[in-house]
Amino acid sequence: MALAALCPTRAHAFGQEGAFQPRVLQAGSRALEGPRGTAPSRWSWELIRRTSAPARLTVSAVAADSTALLEEPFTMWLGSEAVAPLSEPEIRGLRRYLTLGGVLFIDDSNPEVGVFGSSVRRELERILPDSPIVRLPAQHVLYKSYYLLDRPVGRVEGPPYLEAISSGKTLRVLLSSHDLMGALAQQRGGGWTFSVEPGGREQRELATRLAVNLAMYVLCLDYKDDQVHAEELMRRRGRQRR
Amino acid sequence: MTATSWAITDDVERWVVVVTFVLFFGSVLLLVQELRTRGQRSWLIFASGILAALCVSLAAVRPVIVDSQATLVGPRVTVLVDQSRRMRLPAGDQTRIARADEAVRAIASHFENARLTVLGFSEGPMEPLPTGASSTHGSRSDLSAAIRELAGTPGERPRAVIVVSDGRVSRPLADLEDAALREAVGALGVPVHTVRVTDVTPNDASIRGVRAAGVAVAHQPLAVTVEVGCAGELACGRLPVHIRELRDGVAPAELASGIAEIHDGVGTVELEITLDRAGGRVLEISVAAPNGDAIPENDTRYMTFEVARERIRLLHLAGRPTYDVRALRSWLKSDESVDVVAFFILRDSFGDEPGAPSFELALIHFPVDELFTEHLRSFDAVILQDIDAVRYKLTKYLARLAAYVELGGGLIMVGGPSSFAGGNYAGTPLDSILPVEQPDDDKPSDPKSFVPRYTEAGHAAEVTRPIRDLLGDALPEMAGTNFLGQPRPGSIVLWEHPELTAGGQPMPVLALGEAGDGRTIALSVDATHRLAFSPMAAGVAGRAYGALWDGLLGWLMRDPRYEAARVEVVGECIEGEPDTLLRLTRLPGMRGSLNLSLVPLTPETKEPIIRELAGDTVEPVEIRVPGLQAGGYTAKVRIGEAPPSRHDFACERGGTAWADTRPDVPRLEAISRVTGGLAVNLDGVGQLPLPAATRVSAQREVAPVAPPWVWTLASAVLLGVHWVARRNSGLL
Repeated sequence: MALAALCPTRAHAFGQEGAFQPRVLQAGSRALEGPRGTAPSRWSWELIRRTSAPARLTVSAVAADSTALLEEPFTMWLGSEAVAPLSEPEIRGLRRYLTLGGVLFIDDSNPEVGVFGSSVRRELERILPDSPIVRLPAQHVLYKSYYLLDRPVGRVEGPPYLEAISSGKTLRVLLSSHDLMGALAQQRGGGWTFSVEPGGREQRELATRLAVNLAMYVLCLDYKDDQVHAEELMRRRGRQRR
Repeated sequence: MTATSWAITDDVERWVVVVTFVLFFGSVLLLVQELRTRGQRSWLIFASGILAALCVSLAAVRPVIVDSQATLVGPRVTVLVDQSRRMRLPAGDQTRIARADEAVRAIASHFENARLTVLGFSEGPMEPLPTGASSTHGSRSDLSAAIRELAGTPGERPRAVIVVSDGRVSRPLADLEDAALREAVGALGVPVHTVRVTDVTPNDASIRGVRAAGVAVAHQPLAVTVEVGCAGELACGRLPVHIRELRDGVAPAELASGIAEIHDGVGTVELEITLDRAGGRVLEISVAAPNGDAIPENDTRYMTFEVARERIRLLHLAGRPTYDVRALRSWLKSDESVDVVAFFILRDSFGDEPGAPSFELALIHFPVDELFTEHLRSFDAVILQDIDAVRYKLTKYLARLAAYVELGGGLIMVGGPSSFAGGNYAGTPLDSILPVEQPDDDKPSDPKSFVPRYTEAGHAAEVTRPIRDLLGDALPEMAGTNFLGQPRPGSIVLWEHPELTAGGQPMPVLALGEAGDGRTIALSVDATHRLAFSPMAAGVAGRAYGALWDGLLGWLMRDPRYEAARVEVVGECIEGEPDTLLRLTRLPGMRGSLNLSLVPLTPETKEPIIRELAGDTVEPVEIRVPGLQAGGYTAKVRIGEAPPSRHDFACERGGTAWADTRPDVPRLEAISRVTGGLAVNLDGVGQLPLPAATRVSAQREVAPVAPPWVWTLASAVLLGVHWVARRNSGLL
């Protein structure tokens, strides 16, 4: 599914207005790279198949300096190469988006090299100069928003943590060095675009679960931190570890 | 009658008189001392010295002779008649106030030569009473305040005061020490005689008092102590006591009951009640009196409890997670005063395939039965957001949910494919309490995008003022809507569809309604989250979403900020008294005619009392409502097109004044004793002593005893004699 064909307008059927859509950020003059172009749709598809959450299979790209960025509260920024410095309008657009409550998911498609990640961090310092990037604790609600997960994985196993910029208890920016979209990308014929290493099929499932959890977090925020869930989820965690 | 007396001239200050006499007596002492130490016994020296000093003193103070002509008139006597509504209680085959009238007539006859003033006292300033025409009003009878008022009145003070009462006055309190009692009723310094209107204690069981331990807070237990009295010959042992809450359109709810053990004519029982709804709640407190109770009217008290709210406790149910759910949850969780219990359906067991065993999922069972049977009462409001009633097994609880609203709960139904008719709510018990009808249509929603528009009521309502202050009339585009029908009678439509119609009128999009004691809101769209996150929202930093929902939730919870008017009862509402006075105050900016609808809080539908006032007057308006019976009432006031405001209040039979019907003879006797008066019953009025007549001066002539120069000359001559006598005696 080519992103170029996607429509950026807001014509949705009743009930689809609030559906999850993994929009792709066009920043630094780069759009979503080809091999991972199908990943956002796969993400929506998995969300629809596994949960009651509505999602849009037809996903769109959105420019950092466009007012369309403010149409929905979730956007992801993918890349494998170093990002050129953002323009001032792009910086302002992203800052306004994050300040209003939007969530930005940054996924390094080539974490083995890490040039994308380090260049994005540089730009984040320009966008949110007073907001440090910190490791997300293993107890964060993101790891229990639908599936109970112990750690993040993607196409690569990567570090056992995600990093984030938070505002209070709410995540504003989430950084992954696991190439999560690489684990979800499919070929036109139906096979997987990339092999997942070192865990293979099981790791791909865990990567899919992380993607579902991320979508659920965007839709429900800290719902699974509510007291009514706490006791039961603690019991299940104990059972998993045994 | 003519009388002559002497005095010191008026233009000499008191201190001059004192100093003069001190000097005079000092000089006498010195003279005596000198003569004694010198061994002299010269009467001439002594007499001339004394007289010289006296003449000097008289020259200073200048005595005058006063000739006055005066007449004697009857003494002024003031009769204070207890006018509290307690005096409507029986005294034999009459009322106590009728006996008081008899007493006043007897006093007038006995004191026919006195100047009699008859005043009534209860609450507030005293008022003159024409003899034999006493009326009653007010719960309290404050004798201390009445006597203080009398003492503070300029003019001639009375020589005696006669109090006509049954003795059960509010002040002075019973069992005061004599000194305290004298201070309370002795301000005039005259005898206070008392005439008791009855000695007979009626056979009566009553609710003497109701005390709450602290402030009533919604959802929190409150200890209420009920004091039950049993007087006269009535045989009381264990009397059942009940507390019930009166509600609009439904039967009263029993909150607590217990047994009062009566010992020495009084018993208390402590009952724990929990009031779930904030605002004014009307409670009925009753005792089951034994046979022979002569005054059944005070077996039941109706009282208004103002219930505060510590936090708003909400149940938020969503059929699926969406950005609209996210926005509402985010706003609710950001408000420290809101306690949210949320259940979102994250996995539909009919079709979703998580591909994992349950222990790898962070999903818990939706405890629908537990929520709607055990815990529903504990919530102030329920939000149903896009949740299918059949699919998620809510159907069998909808009657209970409707009853919960009618008992004072709040309900918001937020639009979505599984809301309203799309969620199988049409034709259910919940349907009947929503502010809009649900059309009989196979197609539950319209996918076409539109921008809602404000109605006239939407412009007038305080509930939309916060969002209108931010965005004016602008609203974001909504991606479709549920189909809604016409608004139900009494409902208010704030937003309407620009194209779709219902019953020939624009289709409601946002509507408010009242159902029994509760309130409901219907919102047909699922995209208000665009007030929190969209290019339009960014213009006001996303605050428009909170402004909308703060207003909606505030109105649902009867927050005074979002009411069009404030209603209050001026004074008390007492059955049998001429009028109940309601004061209606508009909130600033509220325009239009005023409509008051008053209905009793009973299960049966009663014809409301309606009052309408045209005009836009900003000043508070007072409306008199005659003939209210005892019980609870709800007053709904509508200003122009704005949603109605509501105030619940209680109307009593006798109220506090009838709580204790026993006459208090010892208190009347004590009042008389400490002031030097006499305590009598009606037959003993003839024994009351007549104070001495008052002398009134008609003419007064003042002339000096002698001019000052005479005193001065006399003192000079006497001093000369004194000097010569001293020289002859060798005392110089």
